[in-house]
Amino acid sequence: MNKIAIIGFGAAGYCAAAEARKWDPDALIDVYTDAGRGPYNPMLTTYYVKGAIDYEAMFPFGSLDEIEERLGLCIHRNTAVTGLDAETKTICLPDGTKAAYDNILISTGASAFVPPIQGGDLPGVFKMRTAEDGVYLKKLLDGGKIRSGLVVGASWVGIKVVEDLVEQGVDCTLVDGADWAFSIAAFRQTAQRVHRDLEKKGIKLAFGQMLSHIEQEEDGRITAVMKNGRRFTADIIAICIGVRPNVAFLKDSGIAVNRGVLVDERMGTNLPGIYGAGDCCEAYEIQSGERKNIGLWFNARKQGEVAGANMAGKRKAFGGNALLNLAHYLDYDFISIGDVASCRDEDQVYEYEDDRYYIRAVRGEKLKCINMIGTGESNGVVKSLFIKYFENNQAEMDMASICHLKENGFPDSFIDFIGRDQH
Amino acid sequence: MKHVFTFDPDRCCACSACMIACTDQNDINLKAGEKCFRKTYDTEVAFKEGGIYCAYLSTACMHCEDAPCIAACPVGCISKDADTGFTIYDNTNCVGCKSCAMACPFGAPRYNTEDGKMVKCDGCYIRIKNGMKPACVRACSFGALDCLTEEEYRNSGSDKACNVLIDQANLRKKEALGRWR
Ligand SMILES: Cc1cc2nc3c(=O)[nH]c(=O)nc-3n(C[C@H](O)[C@H](O)[C@H](O)COP(=O)(O)OP(=O)(O)OC[C@H]3O[C@@H](n4cnc5c(N)ncnc54)[C@H](O)[C@@H]3O)c2cc1C
Ligand code: SF4
Repeated sequence: MNKIAIIGFGAAGYCAAAEARKWDPDALIDVYTDAGRGPYNPMLTTYYVKGAIDYEAMFPFGSLDEIEERLGLCIHRNTAVTGLDAETKTICLPDGTKAAYDNILISTGASAFVPPIQGGDLPGVFKMRTAEDGVYLKKLLDGGKIRSGLVVGASWVGIKVVEDLVEQGVDCTLVDGADWAFSIAAFRQTAQRVHRDLEKKGIKLAFGQMLSHIEQEEDGRITAVMKNGRRFTADIIAICIGVRPNVAFLKDSGIAVNRGVLVDERMGTNLPGIYGAGDCCEAYEIQSGERKNIGLWFNARKQGEVAGANMAGKRKAFGGNALLNLAHYLDYDFISIGDVASCRDEDQVYEYEDDRYYIRAVRGEKLKCINMIGTGESNGVVKSLFIKYFENNQAEMDMASICHLKENGFPDSFIDFIGRDQH
Repeated sequence: MKHVFTFDPDRCCACSACMIACTDQNDINLKAGEKCFRKTYDTEVAFKEGGIYCAYLSTACMHCEDAPCIAACPVGCISKDADTGFTIYDNTNCVGCKSCAMACPFGAPRYNTEDGKMVKCDGCYIRIKNGMKPACVRACSFGALDCLTEEEYRNSGSDKACNVLIDQANLRKKEALGRWR
């Protein structure tokens, strides 16, 4: 009998379990989760905070009991795996015991990174990742006493916390260490437009601000002090400066880890029978051909599925993995497709703006990066063209895509720019 | 019984009868800025090397077999109808994040103007279960659009299934294996 262990039970872990069960009805599937509740979706926390969904909706796959029964799993609750011996495919448990398996999946996700700074644990300082973080902020905001909030980190998470604060009428300031918002994916020109829109909505912005520490004020408020000495005082402070894959327990395990667990197309690690999926891993990215940590809900689900199928003896691969960032907040959407950092001064630049869209795209020999604002409903069409040309620059642009883009107000010059490799 | 939409571009003249039937069937409020789930195109595309192609098309959700919107949705709004195989939805918990639109290579998801929630073509699966054809198919008098059971489709020898278009979009390419170690 195939003995499978799944370490960490988020979207990746759940989808792996479901897929493994689909292909191997007899497998013994042990799930280890450091939580006592079902797999939740971290991206729903801020929607719960603003009341768009109920608490239960953060758990799209149901409760642990329901899942255990539905998929025939053995779920070890509140059991954080402490180590792994990859040679013997053995995992170490908190009570000192060990258990051996035929196949092991590492799907431990990532954690919000809060630097070890003075004042980082003061009341009112919080992060946003877990269901508990959502409950914490909702309680604070529903209490009605919060007048001002500071968000450190103009990231995809930070902007969603800003949205929660603004929708509650809380005076909001957003600061970041970089020179502009979404700096890992936005061109400066795109960010200028993002900034303008945020300021129009009453949000105060400050960039080039590196957080030094946090101080308690006598009136109960808290102050974030920057390395340049600037002080930002508010009732609450959110720290949204990034995430770190949960891979510390793999130290000395023999598994190749960079930022995250390094995996191939089948989500296999460097050691046979051991797989990785979701936010804790780095899979091949099409543009660089290198492995990158791309933390997306879709990736976690698909990578989990691929790992689950392979653990059940199927051959399945994960592909088409591109750098993608979609920010949807305060009725505004911004998408970045591809790697902004790969763009060079000598590259060709395309820019278009009307009262609906802003588009900026860059290509060298191939397309490198596309930023678009306001194009929400067409993002998938452009994204799949980007991936299609990347994988095969002889590919033909299909008529339906051309018609869709034209009909939705994309100029011919843009269609021409993205399809330029065509003959 | 699984169903397949078929579309024959050679028979389509973009008369938009399908679109009007879809608007009616799904109570789409065009005045309020809502968009029909089906879209027809009568579009001139100029080629770089000269010449013009007149595209007559009718498109809606392709009901992809491995529909990427299903895994993309953070709350699980989108699923497969076990009976027809169509991609259906329940938008009760939809947060309007547009992750489904980012996943869809065909731009099929639409968003309500009022609450921002996603709506889309569900293949008229309720009509099918009641022995009827989808509204758009019923309205097409040129035989460009049809909806067949899988068996009928196989026996027809046609290659016009809409979800075959997915291969053109390279979506399923990676199911066949890439680089192996
Ligand atoms: C505010 C916010 C907004 C986001 N917005 C988007 C968005 O718009 N679009 C998008 O695609 N993605 C978004 N994401 C990212 C998305 O939520 C994640 O990519 C995805 O949920 C990752 O799933 P996972 O299963 O890999 O990890 P996780 O959900 O982190 O699950 C891993 C689980 O493993 C547990 N674990 C860790 N270590 C151990 C151990 N040693 N033993 C046992 N269990 C362990 C963890 O506690 C956790 O429960 C957002 C995230 C956040 C926080
Ligand atoms: S817009 Fe609604 S249906 Fe689409 S992915 Fe977001 S929550 Fe799901």
